[in-house]
Amino acid sequence: MSVERTLKQFEEDRKEAAQLAARLLLASAVTSPRVGGVGECTVHIVEDECDIEDLCQAVEDLSKENKAWDFFMRDAAMLRDADVILVITSLRSLTDPSDINCNLCGKLTCEYMRKEDKLPAEPGVAFTGPLCTFRAMNISYAIDGIVSLARNMGIDYGVYWSAGAAAMRMGILPKATGFALAVAISVTEKSPFRDIPVKYSQINDRTMNDRIIRRLWPQFRSIYS
Amino acid sequence: MAITEMDDMLQSGLDRAVEMMALAAQTSFRFSNRNTIKVIKVTNEEIEQLAEFCFALGDMAPLAARDGRFAVDLIKEPAALLIIGDKRQSLFNYNCGACGYRTCAELNKAEMVESLTSNGPSCIFRNINIHIAADAAAAMAWRLGLHCRVFSTLGFAAKALEILPDIDTVVSVAVSAAKVNPFFDRHKFWTQEVWDQTFNKEFPTFTRGFIGAVEEG
Repeated sequence: MSVERTLKQFEEDRKEAAQLAARLLLASAVTSPRVGGVGECTVHIVEDECDIEDLCQAVEDLSKENKAWDFFMRDAAMLRDADVILVITSLRSLTDPSDINCNLCGKLTCEYMRKEDKLPAEPGVAFTGPLCTFRAMNISYAIDGIVSLARNMGIDYGVYWSAGAAAMRMGILPKATGFALAVAISVTEKSPFRDIPVKYSQINDRTMNDRIIRRLWPQFRSIYS
Repeated sequence: MAITEMDDMLQSGLDRAVEMMALAAQTSFRFSNRNTIKVIKVTNEEIEQLAEFCFALGDMAPLAARDGRFAVDLIKEPAALLIIGDKRQSLFNYNCGACGYRTCAELNKAEMVESLTSNGPSCIFRNINIHIAADAAAAMAWRLGLHCRVFSTLGFAAKALEILPDIDTVVSVAVSAAKVNPFFDRHKFWTQEVWDQTFNKEFPTFTRGFIGAVEEG
């Protein structure tokens, strides 16, 4: 496709649509139900391309810490294609059990839960549990608040816990955050979060471009000119 | 021309709507595509059972008692309760640490602690999957114009009474086709006198001035 002013304009508007949608999705996340009616979730919008790249780097760093997190590399490749990433936090699950003795955490009462030792914050541990599960559940309503509105607005989305954990590790979330998840959104003709082939962290849009257009084409061009 | 009464239309509309909610719950987002939730609908008889159970908890669980007393009234007009539950063990192998165990294998091996409300320790992501289903159902109810509220108390009661058997964690979504929204601003339960009395008991320093002041009389 040739470069024209209108195409550049379309590219800009597309980006702006994603950023506008992110704010509406934030509204939907904030007004979704909270179990017990106590507020505890915050939503943070990461839309600057450099910030998104920082987050992706952090996800890749995390991937090396734990064998079970190999798929974080694939997540990072998808997140790089996102226009905006929304990070949703749970601010009470770590420090403020809900005092209803629901036993979701398996400690029978919140008093026992408070006395329990937390996992140390060290490599290979994403969240320093045990968390108050009843509190942490509020995050699901925020997530689905985003997802259900994104579906209605026709915005492509993907939900990742890797980016939530990475954002926590980067220290860009409120101090009390015990648990965090992320929703990436994209306004493109092909959702970057669906149809993900194997080895996607190695073979994707960026690496294909780099190998074929940026590496082979200049050589081809200098030989055959 | 056949005439259909309003009540019949409301009831059958509500039935369809609850089916749509179950559909939305079933097809909503799941982590790792692990869709193992169980969903049932209960109506008047069972809601009354749940409500009585909750109300009977009284001072032991004031939130449950509040919802119990309220649910008895709820079923006077067309209403239904969607109960969503699941088992507690991890199916994800995320090893994220949120449950307090380093690995999912450790969590799955840990001894189950049973209680009336739920059995723990449970996988946070599995719980999130349940609650995402609950929110999808709530979102559908909202779009269909039903009154709706998510109740963990009635869900816990359903687990205690084994209305939804063989589950470890649970939540419920109540919907109603009442004339006015019955779920919020439930002022009719509170006279000014009772409210003042309870408020003064719960927040004594609000009117007493400073901690340590002695009340008259």
